[in-house]
Amino acid sequence: MATADWVVLGVYLVGIVAFGMWTGRGSRGMDEFFLAGRTMKWWAIGLSVMATQISAITFVGTTGQAYTDGMRFLVVYFGLPTAMVILCATLVPFFYRARVFTAYEYLEKRFDARTRSLTSLLFLFGRGLSVGVTLYAPSLVLGVILGWSENLTILVMGLSTIVYVVYGGNRSVIWTDVVQMALIWFGIFLCLGLALASLPEHVSVRDALAVAQTAGRLRVMDTSPSLQKPYTLWSGLIGGLFLALAYFGTDQSQVQRYLAGKSLTQSRLSLLFNAFVKVPMQFMILLTGALVFVFYHFHEPPLLWNAPALAELAQKAPPGELAVLRADFARAYEQRREAAERLALDRTQAEPYRAAQREVDAVRARVVALEERVSGRPYNDTNYIFPTYILSTLRGGLAGLVIAVIFAAAMSTLSGELNSLATATMVDFYKRYFRPVASDAEELLTSRALTAVWGGFAIVVALRARQLGSAIETVNRFGSYVYGPILGVFALAVLTRVRALPAFVGILCGEAVVAALAVSGIVHFLWFNVFGALSVVLCGLLIDRLIGSPPAVSPS
Amino acid sequence: MDQEDDRPPLLGSWPRLYAAVVIWLAVVMAGIALFSRWPF
Repeated sequence: MATADWVVLGVYLVGIVAFGMWTGRGSRGMDEFFLAGRTMKWWAIGLSVMATQISAITFVGTTGQAYTDGMRFLVVYFGLPTAMVILCATLVPFFYRARVFTAYEYLEKRFDARTRSLTSLLFLFGRGLSVGVTLYAPSLVLGVILGWSENLTILVMGLSTIVYVVYGGNRSVIWTDVVQMALIWFGIFLCLGLALASLPEHVSVRDALAVAQTAGRLRVMDTSPSLQKPYTLWSGLIGGLFLALAYFGTDQSQVQRYLAGKSLTQSRLSLLFNAFVKVPMQFMILLTGALVFVFYHFHEPPLLWNAPALAELAQKAPPGELAVLRADFARAYEQRREAAERLALDRTQAEPYRAAQREVDAVRARVVALEERVSGRPYNDTNYIFPTYILSTLRGGLAGLVIAVIFAAAMSTLSGELNSLATATMVDFYKRYFRPVASDAEELLTSRALTAVWGGFAIVVALRARQLGSAIETVNRFGSYVYGPILGVFALAVLTRVRALPAFVGILCGEAVVAALAVSGIVHFLWFNVFGALSVVLCGLLIDRLIGSPPAVSPS
Repeated sequence: MDQEDDRPPLLGSWPRLYAAVVIWLAVVMAGIALFSRWPF
């Protein structure tokens, strides 16, 4: 990176920490620290909800995915707007009127302490384990771009976030999220504009889209009924709906954002704002990836996107083998460039273009196979595509700005997670079981200490993630194992008159069903949320019917 | 619940606003489907 890029990144890091501390000054008690005094407006909460959801890997990973596989990933967000409507009409009013700090606190009011504690514990496990991954995953990419070690990247990102979250709590989280989301939006428009502007003069936007379309990079809707196939329209509409219901309705990292609303209206509007904006925004991110794919038809892409891995391969691979692959790749690239230019002039040239694209894919597959053979590890460089593009095309501090956007995406997710983990630990366990009554000052101090402990935990997990190896993959997916059953118990709470014991047993049944599905591998993970939630509801209703006796208190 | 909670600032009632979200989703999905198949 050039000096101007380092200056921009430095200004962002110092500025966001200072801004976070300034906005969070004057916290006096738990209500202020965890819920920003319940004073926030819809647009600030809405942007914060959005920023918490967009992680750094979402930003660089989805653009990379559009480059390699097209825009099918977009369907994951198709269930989100409907989920927001359902939540606004059901759970959000219950949470808001119950004046709770955590979503799980409501379950004690409706069922019992046992159900609340189990659900909160599931959240702490799921989110607690993934918080380290939130920090570790972008450090791999950012470390390569910045030339830093992974550990240094983790420490810079983690410590700067911890400082303002520990000091200012939820108010700092929300206001820094607003700035970070504005930066992310700016980054999206900048990258999309740049991708369009960097096309060769003789290739129009329409031509570029024709190339992307012919290569299958604009493909979104796959109407296959298969439950195993990833990112079909149905898994997006149904699985994505349940995922969004669970994530926005029962994950404390999101619930805590809209509980900070000044009124129920403000909380509802913040979610509906996301319902309107999220799909188009994700579309633009994926479209940027598809246009980057076209860009590399007219600028030769590297053999591998992970530059250090390529340098290592050049040293360790048998001398002649890599040279042959380089020559084959250059030839295949040149043929594809010519085929793309012919396609730009004449749309009947689709088949020769597809053949040229298959040839490029085939040579690259040989390079990846060589890399895996030489390194002895599986190789995937999807997340390196977008950062490589940025560094090779942006000048005058703009690359630093987009790298700051990737930092912002990582830090906004981490801040929301740390704040919510501290809240659940404080409210659902420490205050509930150990210290129900304490002064505001003591509660504030404990809340800050718990935030710092979770921050330290995230850094330790991230620093040790490399040793965890493939366990990281399992940890990363743990959230999808717990979301469905948690959603199911909230559905029982709000929609039925089921009593405490059936609800508690229902959660255990739901977890057993999800574990069985995960082990058997018969459905794609987006369906875990559907089956997990439904099994809790069915088990709860069935057990409630079996044990008989009068129904419990009405949910209202 | 305060008075502000009874009515959203747009379209007069929550059900209407919810319907607008669903219609918006349908329009966006149709637009994306059209875009991905458009004869560029």
